[in-house]
Amino acid sequence: MNYRNISWQAAAVDCLPIRRNLACLILLVWSSTLFAQNPGNAKNPTGALSIGATHVLGFESAPNNATGKLSIEGGALQFQKTEGPATQVSIGSIQNVLLGVEDKQVGGTPMALGRAATPFGGGRVIGLFSHKMYDTVTLEYLDANGGFHGAIFQLNKGKGELLKNQLLASGAHFAKPEEQTTKQSSPEAKNDNK
Amino acid sequence: MTTNNALSFRILAAVILVIPFMCSSHLTAQTAATKPGGSSSAQKWSVLVDKVDAGDVNLEPAFRIAIYENLLDELTKTKRFKQVFRSGDHSANDVSDLLILKTTVQKYTPGSETRRAVTTVSGATKLNVRTQLCTRDGNVILEKVVDGNVRFLGGNLRATHNLAHNVAGKIKESTLPDPKASAAKDKAAHAMVTSALLVAVPAL
Repeated sequence: MNYRNISWQAAAVDCLPIRRNLACLILLVWSSTLFAQNPGNAKNPTGALSIGATHVLGFESAPNNATGKLSIEGGALQFQKTEGPATQVSIGSIQNVLLGVEDKQVGGTPMALGRAATPFGGGRVIGLFSHKMYDTVTLEYLDANGGFHGAIFQLNKGKGELLKNQLLASGAHFAKPEEQTTKQSSPEAKNDNK
Repeated sequence: MTTNNALSFRILAAVILVIPFMCSSHLTAQTAATKPGGSSSAQKWSVLVDKVDAGDVNLEPAFRIAIYENLLDELTKTKRFKQVFRSGDHSANDVSDLLILKTTVQKYTPGSETRRAVTTVSGATKLNVRTQLCTRDGNVILEKVVDGNVRFLGGNLRATHNLAHNVAGKIKESTLPDPKASAAKDKAAHAMVTSALLVAVPAL
């Protein structure tokens, strides 16, 4: 039985390249996660802003609850679905842009079913933590016949203001400042019209 | 005798053949005339959906817009109206038999999807609106108070979809007056006012 006696120092020197590789790998993973955390706010090669958004309803022929990217190009606000054709409206036709905040449960119907199926009230605990704040952008615009349209988009928190500023810079109309921001996640407060 | 018999047989056969066709066409006409909800007459109306009036209620803009857009969708789905116009649409100006749908929010209880998920019993989003179908000159021909809530599954904006669905359902099941009769009534009322004025003005 021949055992080689290797000192701790020699072992450490041997492991040095492995450590370096490991450090590089960790750095790579960390930087990729950083980029992945900010996917909804990318600049096009042309310099136009493109924001990840979910179309809730009302924007031209785009289907409800479709995800895609909102961008301002050539004097028009364009919604490009992840798969499929883009739809757009002229910025000049936009009458109002209103911001709001909404607290939503993440995961949609599959998650809701999963919560319901979790025993011993575990679904409620999951529900307590599985929610996220979103910005909602409400657009009011007119079509060629003068017909009034409304569209609602759901954006990541903070992106609504960015889109509003871009639209403002591009010449869209806005309502009075006091009407701009209304919180949607307020506690149950009954409003009666008397 | 034989020729007479043959002739009468042919006539009888022709009558037997023709009668079922006549009966079936008569029945078809009857069913068309007595379709539930009076849709044959109501189909002559077109509707213009007015912007939602939030009144004194502090309603989020997204809700106001969602109610309006969902109403347009749901009214189109009912097939009760010839055309469904958006508020401000110039092409509605030329339409003679036009009704205007006015919606006023009366109550709004903002809910929370998270509270619904955690507690089940609280956090419901509730909407209560007054809807009116009016003619161009402001005569209200239908008025309903409708609710739209979301209590368990779904986001808060689902309340607007439920509300619009309920409004469209109420309109679908109600009987609207015949547009021509309504126009004739308006003409008669206009003529009465004019004649009254003609009588009153010389007296003054």
